[in-house]
Amino acid sequence: MILSEKTVKKIREKASKYPKRKAAILPSLTLAYKQLGYVDNEIYIEISEVINVPQLEIAEAASFYTMFPKKPRGKYLLQVCNNISCALLGADAMVDRLEEKLAIKRGETTDDGLFTLISVECLGSCCTAPMIQINDDFHENLTRKKLDKLLEGLKNGK
Amino acid sequence: MAEAVKEKISAVATVTCTIDGQQITVPRGTSVFDAAKRNGIVIPAFCNHDKLKPVGACRMCYVEIEKMPKLQVSCATMATDGMVVSTNSQQVREGRKAVIEFTLINHPLDCPTCDKGGECDLQDLTFDHGYDDSRFGFNKMRFIEEEKRATFDDLKIGPEIVLNRNRCILCYKCVRANKEAFGEYDIGAFERGDLTEINATPGGEVSNPFSGNLVEICPVGALTNSDWRYKIRVWLTKTVPSICNFSGSGTNITFYKEDHKNFLFRVTARCNDDIDDGWLSDITRYGYQIVNSESRLKTPLIKKGGKQVAASWDEALAVIKKHMGEIKDQSGGVCIGGLISPSLDNASLYSFSKLFRTIFKSNNIDFRGDYRYLPSVTDSPFTIAASQPFSISEMETSEVIITFGTDLIREHHNEYLKIRRAVNFFNATVYSVNPYAVKTADIAKSEMVYSPGTDELVINGVCLVAIEKKLVDSSAAAKLKPKISKLSLGEIAKQTGVSREQFVELAEAISSAKKISFIVGEIVARSLDRDKICAALSNMNKLFGIQDKGQLAVLARYANSKGAQKLGISATPYEIVKKELKKIWGEYPDCQPRNTDAMINLMKKEEIKGFITVGANPMRLYPDRRFASEGLEHVDFLVACDMFETETTELADVVLPLCSWAEYDGDYINLEGKVQTGKQAIKPKHESKAAFEIMELIARQFGAKLFENEQNKNGEIEKLLNLDSVLPWPDNFFEIEYEKKSSQDGYPVPLFICDDPHHSGHLTEKSPSLLNFTDSAYVELSKDLAAKIGVADGDPLRVESPVGKIVVPAKISAVLNSDVAIIPRNFSSTQTTSLLMRKKRVDSVKLTRVEE
Repeated sequence: MILSEKTVKKIREKASKYPKRKAAILPSLTLAYKQLGYVDNEIYIEISEVINVPQLEIAEAASFYTMFPKKPRGKYLLQVCNNISCALLGADAMVDRLEEKLAIKRGETTDDGLFTLISVECLGSCCTAPMIQINDDFHENLTRKKLDKLLEGLKNGK
Repeated sequence: MAEAVKEKISAVATVTCTIDGQQITVPRGTSVFDAAKRNGIVIPAFCNHDKLKPVGACRMCYVEIEKMPKLQVSCATMATDGMVVSTNSQQVREGRKAVIEFTLINHPLDCPTCDKGGECDLQDLTFDHGYDDSRFGFNKMRFIEEEKRATFDDLKIGPEIVLNRNRCILCYKCVRANKEAFGEYDIGAFERGDLTEINATPGGEVSNPFSGNLVEICPVGALTNSDWRYKIRVWLTKTVPSICNFSGSGTNITFYKEDHKNFLFRVTARCNDDIDDGWLSDITRYGYQIVNSESRLKTPLIKKGGKQVAASWDEALAVIKKHMGEIKDQSGGVCIGGLISPSLDNASLYSFSKLFRTIFKSNNIDFRGDYRYLPSVTDSPFTIAASQPFSISEMETSEVIITFGTDLIREHHNEYLKIRRAVNFFNATVYSVNPYAVKTADIAKSEMVYSPGTDELVINGVCLVAIEKKLVDSSAAAKLKPKISKLSLGEIAKQTGVSREQFVELAEAISSAKKISFIVGEIVARSLDRDKICAALSNMNKLFGIQDKGQLAVLARYANSKGAQKLGISATPYEIVKKELKKIWGEYPDCQPRNTDAMINLMKKEEIKGFITVGANPMRLYPDRRFASEGLEHVDFLVACDMFETETTELADVVLPLCSWAEYDGDYINLEGKVQTGKQAIKPKHESKAAFEIMELIARQFGAKLFENEQNKNGEIEKLLNLDSVLPWPDNFFEIEYEKKSSQDGYPVPLFICDDPHHSGHLTEKSPSLLNFTDSAYVELSKDLAAKIGVADGDPLRVESPVGKIVVPAKISAVLNSDVAIIPRNFSSTQTTSLLMRKKRVDSVKLTRVEE
């Protein structure tokens, strides 16, 4: 099993709250995603065994929701906003800098499995542009220097 | 529509609306689309399907409804009182044009190379309703997967199905039919928006036993099957109405043929709501390929010096005359026996019976070649249960449906779909009662799995609970109780493995249901103690009054099993049939009647010297191969008629090539007792002849005529079919003895031999398409049992019974949850029936891993 016992237990608990088993698909996917940072076919099969819903139904639902990543990704998900305010204030330069520093392209993951870089649409922090969301946290008013420091910090596990 | 359904609908409230100026009254809950359709107003649509719930995906069925500001999709809008609908206003026409234009944005215009061309909904509706130009000039979106593609952008998603996602217009009909109507989860819609694609489950393929329907209902060329692809254009073919020859329900089909080539190209559904709802099982859809098979027997064969050599019909018949004549003259006709396949038409069955009974003067005939030991009596409880009336469409309106001793997906595909429909559309409650967990129980409210060999105890348990809980008439209860209460309920629960609560649940369901369908299947029919089980069923029927408020029957398994019963093809026909035969022929042999088992037994004792098989293959199907082969090898003179070389024809002294059902007109009686005609589609292939012709030819050799003319023959058959052939249940209750059968030491796993979900009988292995689904035998077992033995899916497994041994790959089942082994009998490469013993209630085997 890829899913941990803890996750499976949580999924069972969630599933028991719904009158229809199918309703447990999205909460289960969310729990699996929280553990692993991604979902894929093997996970669908495991969930399907736990909540007793056909694998197909889970695969369909997961593929519909683009915010479930379908591939394992880095420990830190770097989401650079590239909407208008950020773009005007140099979001592209930030992405370039990150690409250069991490030696990856947008949408890729570093070999050490630490960083995944993507650009995203507006994160609602226009007044502090340019900005980046790393996992659940915002980092705002970015400059190259600030960005380098941020990366250094993450690499050293801070 | 079925009468019963109509009644049910007429009982609910109605609404009256106006569609295109017509006043239309329909039941509440009817969609505008259906209301219009029922009154002859055709609204164009892609995604709507009569037998599926509406989704409103394609938007093609736009109509204008007064007081509604925008166009509405008629398939998902319910008709209401006073609604005024216009299906052909200016606004509607423009709306449709726009929908077509949108649909065609990404649809490739490859009609000249698309296999659907000529029967494509999109092609037709574009012609009728679309623009002749498009305003969308950009490149069409194209799905392409280099590593997996077959030809162009086609993707093989199943053994038979090829998918072209570019042509798909996302009507979701395939996905909906698969989930709703078939309960299968192997094709789905992934991603979203304009990126949505239909595809097989990741890592899987579309191989369910109904997958062929998905191709048929696809409105465009997105799903095609390798059976029909690129073989011929649809407008070059002619259609012939026929019926399926592989199932008991006689699903209606259409053959597509081409005269010059004398070739069948495909089979599609010919929707008959009373029987099949327009769904076909893959066996029906692809099974026809056996007709075209190159390995058909081409000429008669005669054994000369131990080898079978080709001969002419005259030579073969002369040999038959010589040997059968000798046997008849020297030992008497009683030394001749015959076995016929219950898939043949009425005329063939009747001719066979007449040949034996009037010319050989023998009573040794049977049509049940795959039932172990059958007693030679007329009114055994099993015979009575098998003669009961049954209606497929009645199931739709039944409140409670109980399936007992039947693995529907291996025996009765069509009935299974009807039951699903009853659940989905008419809120029926299903109970599945079987000796092993079955796939089709997913629609059941509860599934009861009893230990194999305790069938009658389960029925007794239900009766006892009902008596105890006072759910039934007390006088009947008092009469029945002493006859079945030798074992206490607790003891029964222990023996059967069914809990008291489950018995209570079932008893309450049966007693409270207003309308009930009780289906008994092949697991009971093939059991050695079928009479005992049916006696228990008789008790139950009387106790609960099941037939007073519904139906209870052992379903006929083959295309004309019911016909064979009605025409008296067994050695022990119904008394009423016997009497009628005597009247028609003026004679009836008074020698001892002998059913299949008795005949084979007498072969060994050399009391049966001549034997004729017609379309039957006892060597493969008789549930004791050693017994059958010892018998058939002892026969002095064996004549085998079949379409192919089989295990039985190999032993024969004379082999005669038989026509398939597509090569002559024939009447068949389905499990409801309904007579249906299968029309001749092509001329007989090679030198083959229909069974009734062969019987007539043999009769002529003996200087007699079976029938003066066609009319004569039909008249005689008609007389028999007009008889009321429902045997009455006895008035009293049966005493049910149960002796515990301890499982044989060293052979712990109960064995069930049945059909693969993609095969039926011994012929379908000649269909290349069906072989693409399953091409060899396997042993299906539960995950736990596999783990116990230490085998993984596909590992070879030695299956040993006290009498035989085979090695087959293991197949781990997703549904089985008890220790049983299931092996299909459809493949000549595995001698499955060699594991069986003819006088055994539950066959059991030992499973061991084959060490490398």
